[in-house]
Amino acid sequence: MPIGDFAFLIPVLPALAFVLTFFLGKKLPQGGAIIPIAAIAASFVISLIITINLLQNPEEVVTQSYQWFSAFNLGILIDPLAAVMLTMVTFVSLLIHIYSVGYMSHEPAKSRYFAETALFTASMLSLILSDNILQLFISWELVGLCSFLLIGFWYQKPSAASAAKKAFLTTRIGDVMFLAGIVLLTTDLFKIVNGTIPEQLYMLRFDTMFHYIPELNAMSSTILGFEVSHLTLITLLFFGGAVGKSGQFPLHVWLPDAMEGPTTVSALIHAATMVTAGVYLVARTFPMFIAAPDSLIVVAYLGAFTAIFAATMGVVMNDIKRVLAYSTVSQLGYMMLGLGVGAVIGAEAVGVSIFHLVSHAFFKALLFLCAGSVIHAVGTHDMRQLGGVAKVMPITAATMVAASLALAGFGIPKTIVGTTGFFSKDPIIEFAYLFGAEGGSWLPYIFAIIAALLTSFYIFRLIFMTFAGEPRTDYGGHESPATMTVPLAILGIFALFFGAISAKTFTHFVSETFHNNFVHVDIHALAELGNYHIAAEHGHEPLLIIWMPIIVATIGLVLAYLIYYQRAIDVSRFVTRENPLYKLLYNRYYQNEILTEFFAVKIVYESISMATYYLDRGFDWIVKLLSDIVFEAGEAFRQVQTGNIRHYATAVVLGVSLLVVLVKLVMEVI
Amino acid sequence: MIPLNFYLALSAIVFSIGLYGFMTQKNGIRILMCVELMLNSANINLVAFSSYNDDMTGQVFALFAIALAAAEAAIGFAIMMSIYKMRDSINLDDLNVLRW
Repeated sequence: MPIGDFAFLIPVLPALAFVLTFFLGKKLPQGGAIIPIAAIAASFVISLIITINLLQNPEEVVTQSYQWFSAFNLGILIDPLAAVMLTMVTFVSLLIHIYSVGYMSHEPAKSRYFAETALFTASMLSLILSDNILQLFISWELVGLCSFLLIGFWYQKPSAASAAKKAFLTTRIGDVMFLAGIVLLTTDLFKIVNGTIPEQLYMLRFDTMFHYIPELNAMSSTILGFEVSHLTLITLLFFGGAVGKSGQFPLHVWLPDAMEGPTTVSALIHAATMVTAGVYLVARTFPMFIAAPDSLIVVAYLGAFTAIFAATMGVVMNDIKRVLAYSTVSQLGYMMLGLGVGAVIGAEAVGVSIFHLVSHAFFKALLFLCAGSVIHAVGTHDMRQLGGVAKVMPITAATMVAASLALAGFGIPKTIVGTTGFFSKDPIIEFAYLFGAEGGSWLPYIFAIIAALLTSFYIFRLIFMTFAGEPRTDYGGHESPATMTVPLAILGIFALFFGAISAKTFTHFVSETFHNNFVHVDIHALAELGNYHIAAEHGHEPLLIIWMPIIVATIGLVLAYLIYYQRAIDVSRFVTRENPLYKLLYNRYYQNEILTEFFAVKIVYESISMATYYLDRGFDWIVKLLSDIVFEAGEAFRQVQTGNIRHYATAVVLGVSLLVVLVKLVMEVI
Repeated sequence: MIPLNFYLALSAIVFSIGLYGFMTQKNGIRILMCVELMLNSANINLVAFSSYNDDMTGQVFALFAIALAAAEAAIGFAIMMSIYKMRDSINLDDLNVLRW
């Protein structure tokens, strides 16, 4: 029996674990943590075997499809893209679950926590292996729901409850755009097949969608005086969904607030599940993007902008988790940029971007788990109160440094010496350079380089402030238990060495996704549809360009060392409320004020309340009028009821007479 | 033979007298008597038509009406008696107890 037959178990097992843990967890030790751990471990093994199978034989794509209504289907598709994502998600999620046993040991509602994380993982897995966009959307919503539940895990805390709501509502904006894209796509496909769907054609399955790209491109509507191809419109709407889920500008505001959940949840959201969904969606529908001239440019610019925008805020944050949160937003910007440069490099962009996604998952999960380890032991996440943690927590400190090196992307170009982040981030920056060279716009490259400098600076600022030097306050602290340190060590090894051994294979493997026997599309033909010129060859960038990322990373490290360890440069002059730039950064560009207080309160809330006020008054007036009419009429008719028999007699006589006259008249007319 | 119209005219006159009394009188007994008048005017009509058509149905109907009128009068007087006991008057203008 081929392993592909068990593929459906990958999301089903964690989903079952959710049910079991939810109902039985309270009676088991550790909140029934063993159930999701076992289920996810099994899913991991199946995913890994499928991935290895695929690696050796790229033709063995797993597909299963069942009819659902007449035009849709339910099914699974495991091609290289899905396979690596599945393996990464199950692996990281498994380690996070094991770590959670230690981290959540003092938590009373353990079984609820483990049930929800199991469901979170299950929804993400089902999102990844959907073979049609509708099923993907259903899982997409489930992921959103789970993030809501988990961010608001400590729902007794008002800040956690409001952060959960904020995450849910902000991503909802993206979700609505995604849904609108699906609706538009479905109606267009119906138009293309003239409303009669051929036998065995499932409208929203990826291969069908990609097959009709030229027809979709030919359809267009006029919006605000611009002729917009429907393909551009659909891809932009899809990208809108991705912006919401992946926390890109301007819908990133929920991600830093999501820190209100347990740190392990942050790790899960930032590394394996929620935020990667957006990148995955764009990667999955990449053939559509590459055929849409403007959409990919939007993806590239927005990604590059988000990378630098979030990095600038990471520089001034004092909360250890918030620095990491902005780092995630920034790194997701890199992934989007990686996809956006597909305009010049074709399908390889997907490979590069997904490789950064996977490697980011390793080191970002590690960063969060280390931060969690520190918080667990010390009980604070304000970096200004920490310092010298390395002395009491050597394993945590060592893994944290490994993760930071990976995040900053240290490595030596042209050799196989380097951290995972080096092998995943550098190609994106190089391709951004190529994007500039071929496309004529250097902005994404400049943004990417500055963001790399800032990344290195803020992460080593975190390291020096937290782990080096002398303790600033009197905290106890102890090394975390083995359930926590072992996952840290495993992730640390991956953060350091995964890139060196797999970079080339991985990128090539994933890029092949769109050439295999399931979704075979001709990327070059599609690119020509979008009037792109895919660079014939690359890898001959000037030496300075190749060394640039590592140079800026080193500058960032040295700056952080001088300022926060040696204290050779005194920045306290700048770090004051009087400095407008610091104030701007520290207040996060006043996005909260702009978005919530101005946009939400002033515009949305007040205009709606005004409108509803007058609407309400209007209804009130109508209802009052009706009741007045009835009341007055009753009052008038009451006078008729005198109770005097002679009046009644008169009424009867008059009535009968009237009736007679009427009958007479009617008879005459007839 | 007296033409039918005469009977109908008589009936109409009797009915109008009854109706006039019904609408103007205050005394309960008088009103009952006026109701009797109106019923009898209807009976005249029934009998007249019955004779005119050579059909007994109308006369039988008239007998029914007289029987019912007698029963109604009996009950009406009984009601008048109890009203009198209660109010020391049978002036119907005072008796608007059923109002609202």
